Amino acid sequence: MLIWFLPVFLVFLMIGLPVFFALLAAPGALLFLNGQERDITLLYRNLYNGMDSFPLMAIPFFMLAGELMNRGGITARLVEFSQALMGHLRGGLAHVNVLSSMLFAGLSGSAVADTSALGSMLVPAMEKQGYTRRFAAAITAASSVIGPIIPPSGIMIIYAYVMGESVAALFLAGIVPGVLIGSGLMLMVKFMADRYDFPVATERYTWRQRGGAGLKAFFPLLTPVIILGGILGGVFTPTEAAAVAVAYALFIGLFVIRTLSFRDLPDVLTRAGLTSSVVLLLVGAAMSFKTVVSLSHAPEQLAAFILTLTENPLLLLFLINLLLFLVGMFLDAGPAIIILGPILGPVFIQLGVEPVHFAIIMCVNLTVGLATPPMGLVLFVAAAVSRERVTTIARAILPFLAIEILVILLITFIPALSLTVPRLAGFL
Amino acid sequence: MKLLQTVLRGLAAINDVLLSVGRVVGVFAISIMVIVILIQVYCRYILGSALPWPDEAARFCMLWMTGLMAPTALRNGGFVAIDTIDVLLPNLVSRLLQIVLLLVSLTVLIIAVQIGYKEVTGLGGRFATASLYVPQSLVSGSLTIDQWYRVPRSWMMTSLLVGIAMLILVNIELILGRVVHLFDPPEETDPADVIVTQGAESRGAE
Repeated sequence: MLIWFLPVFLVFLMIGLPVFFALLAAPGALLFLNGQERDITLLYRNLYNGMDSFPLMAIPFFMLAGELMNRGGITARLVEFSQALMGHLRGGLAHVNVLSSMLFAGLSGSAVADTSALGSMLVPAMEKQGYTRRFAAAITAASSVIGPIIPPSGIMIIYAYVMGESVAALFLAGIVPGVLIGSGLMLMVKFMADRYDFPVATERYTWRQRGGAGLKAFFPLLTPVIILGGILGGVFTPTEAAAVAVAYALFIGLFVIRTLSFRDLPDVLTRAGLTSSVVLLLVGAAMSFKTVVSLSHAPEQLAAFILTLTENPLLLLFLINLLLFLVGMFLDAGPAIIILGPILGPVFIQLGVEPVHFAIIMCVNLTVGLATPPMGLVLFVAAAVSRERVTTIARAILPFLAIEILVILLITFIPALSLTVPRLAGFL
Repeated sequence: MKLLQTVLRGLAAINDVLLSVGRVVGVFAISIMVIVILIQVYCRYILGSALPWPDEAARFCMLWMTGLMAPTALRNGGFVAIDTIDVLLPNLVSRLLQIVLLLVSLTVLIIAVQIGYKEVTGLGGRFATASLYVPQSLVSGSLTIDQWYRVPRSWMMTSLLVGIAMLILVNIELILGRVVHLFDPPEETDPADVIVTQGAESRGAE
């Protein structure tokens, strides 16, 4: 009987009930119908206990650090540095867009922040150079999904917490897939640039000029070194590293680059707090939901069902990617991970898939889903930033999505791509 | 209808005040979180001796930040939902569905607030926190600060209760707003714009 909470939950989601309420209403209703009213109190307790977590505090801190970096004009320095390196190539600004996204990913870990920060700067610049607006918006949206894949990453912190994995292992496992997506997008840009005769952005920079641009971007680029170096060196926990990143972003914004003022702080803090509060409530609700998932034995039944389809693990991984991709088309990555992680994770781990490998498949696939129609969040943000229609960007993004799907398949069937770095660092 | 509009305006005014107070306290809470964790980093790695209280104090602040700021996010449409069906349904049906969904949310919240109250006032709330103390004078009103009062867990647990109570107020405001619009529809806006503005910035984990 209790297993029916899953279809009820899906109906709630499909008719548009906010994920937070659906995560509580469906299990609650089924517990009530099943005569287990006492366990509804358990849902409330797990909602509270799910939020009362020290590792989870990294989420508001990383969001705050990202907001501070963004407000402090650090984006402009990253773009200038990327331009110094790649602006002279054919399709230079498109390459700059991808490279800036990869650098930005090391600071913020949010695709939405990436799209809005880089899009507002690069889309008009690309248009001025003769790119179509839809292409400029599409490459911005496509490259922004690297944000949550290269560490730090909000969704990886959520996955690690909900599924009991190591944040550091997931962060490390995301590096190669993120770089692969970036390189793949650059190859596609090169192919299109040669074919459609894209413009070059600037004259080739001299090494001296490159050094100057690198120096200006030095302090922002030190952030990922501090975060990852601190965590890997055993100096900080991820939460402490995130707090140090906040202090660092504040310090360079206020005193080194001096593009941030104290007057900006209330707004920055409010934005970070609002965003975090929604995520934290969702994670708490996910922990409640997870309790009922275990009580209902849903993963076991789902595993039995999946094994009736096929016992070939490669085919199963392909099918799961298909499912994740479909879900990603309709749901944001964070909530999708919160919902599907507790259900699918145990199934595939039981089938012999390495937990960190499965986590990366899930995170990358659902993150790419942020740029797919009809409900791709970064498509909407790219549309707002560029004033181009969502449907037009959705068509223009297809070649880049093809690359990202190819990378998803690569990391699915070659586990070493995600597992080698955490293994070398001793986290596996 | 006029009565409904008056009630809606009154509730909106109350929520305006409550939510802005919530945001201000939330901003302080997130600032304190950063400061106490940095103090902990300094003490642990520079002075070589970790303090017992910063981790719990930061969690205390995080829970209050969440409780006090989430209602503003709900009011701004920041709670993630799949809104595809809205586009597919006729206008009137879509609006009715919105009201039904808000009523489902309200039911969840009302059950949660009842459980929450029992939890805060029950046995679990009476246990003390592991490391948080305040001067006894804050509790008893006396002027001495030589005695310390150990903070009970209920002070932390109240954060979610207050958050849910504020979510209920916002939810009722949203329901009243939808009912008013049912009879007096607002001017149409571009659906793409609505989706973009509806909480896009409150989904930063992505």
